Amino acid sequence: MFDEVFLPHMAEAYRLAQWLTGNAYDAEDVVQDAALRAFRGIKSFGAVNARAWSLTIVRNTAYSWLLKNKSKAVVFTDDLSPAEQQELEHEGLHGARVETPEEIALFKADSEDVQRALAQLPPHFREVIVLREINQLNYRDIAEITNVPIGTVMSRLSRSRQLLITLLGDRKS
Amino acid sequence: MIASMRDNDELQMNAYCDGELDPASAIEFERRLAGDETLKAQYNRLLSLRRTVRSLPQYEVPAGLQARIQSALDADRPGRVDRPGRASRPVQAGRPRQRSWSFQALAAAAVFGAVISSSVMLTMERYDRQEDVARAVVAGHIRGLLAPQPFDVASSDRHTVKPWFTSHLPLSPQVPDLAAQGFVLEGGRVDVVGHDPVATIVYKHAKHTVSLTTLPRGQSVSDQAIAGYNVRSWSDAEFAYIVVSDISPEDLASFERAFSEASPALEIK
Repeated sequence: MFDEVFLPHMAEAYRLAQWLTGNAYDAEDVVQDAALRAFRGIKSFGAVNARAWSLTIVRNTAYSWLLKNKSKAVVFTDDLSPAEQQELEHEGLHGARVETPEEIALFKADSEDVQRALAQLPPHFREVIVLREINQLNYRDIAEITNVPIGTVMSRLSRSRQLLITLLGDRKS
Repeated sequence: MIASMRDNDELQMNAYCDGELDPASAIEFERRLAGDETLKAQYNRLLSLRRTVRSLPQYEVPAGLQARIQSALDADRPGRVDRPGRASRPVQAGRPRQRSWSFQALAAAAVFGAVISSSVMLTMERYDRQEDVARAVVAGHIRGLLAPQPFDVASSDRHTVKPWFTSHLPLSPQVPDLAAQGFVLEGGRVDVVGHDPVATIVYKHAKHTVSLTTLPRGQSVSDQAIAGYNVRSWSDAEFAYIVVSDISPEDLASFERAFSEASPALEIK
């Protein structure tokens, strides 16, 4: 049972863990820990979506790991006051919007820049980008894994992308 | 106001980029895209970001991780086999007593057979009726999608929709707003099932239209897909509910959860 549910998603699990923890070494620990949790909790698996179930465990393991080991570095966006959140959002959105269509049509960034920009995003913003673009999950699965309504997934994705575009744009100039 | 319009555009653009818009909204968005240079530029930038992020080198699972996990699991195994294993043991102790098996089984089989065949007949009949109801409800949903608006009364305010139902129908359901759970109240309409007008509440979920039809109790149908739409049904003390949408069965299940959790709290009015 465990072999069919969790193991096939190991590569994805590892990728997600590496993006969330920020390094290969911690990612290994997280995946191993998540595998144990999955193994012990396999009875609770409802046979709906093995991939989402596995990634949910990895994600939650990564977060508890982060809180335990790097609690100072982790700022969860939901902890921000509405005003702060607004500010974050608007800096990202409207800072980028002033450009003319020609300027914003294309932008170039090498993979190091992108990696750095992604690492700079608050965890909840980074994870939707990783789940969507790297793991290529649909909104429904992302909502399930991150345990928020689809509407929240949509707005977080949109904001994260704006933030990334702003970050990458700043880096260039 | 302008800001919220823009945010909405932003969401729609992202949903389109991710292939999460329903066909009608996608076509509408493409039409806008073709005529709006600024929007097109923003969309291109989004695509460009996606390409860049997706072309990042993929992290590979380090060699040996799988083996390490396997041995960690093996170490874990003896500790837990005890617990669930115990429970099934005592059953085996009862085995030698199954002497009079054949006679009892024969009698049981006869009774069982009779019950089954009569209930099959009943089930078949009910099944036909259910099919008609399910088809009528899906037809209502499709008609709603084809109409300029999928509802007769448009409002995201349940205090508008509920009285509207009350004034048009003998029985009207609770109309909870489930925006927090991802299902935004859009309005309500009256569908006709058999010869009876019934209340249908319309929600929007990530650009998909969700129709919730409320029927008198006892008319629930089986969960199924009809004409490409997923159908889910459940009942409470007052109504049988049938929800139709092109969203996945899992999303319909979470809709049911959200609706059931929200309705009892509104019992007062």
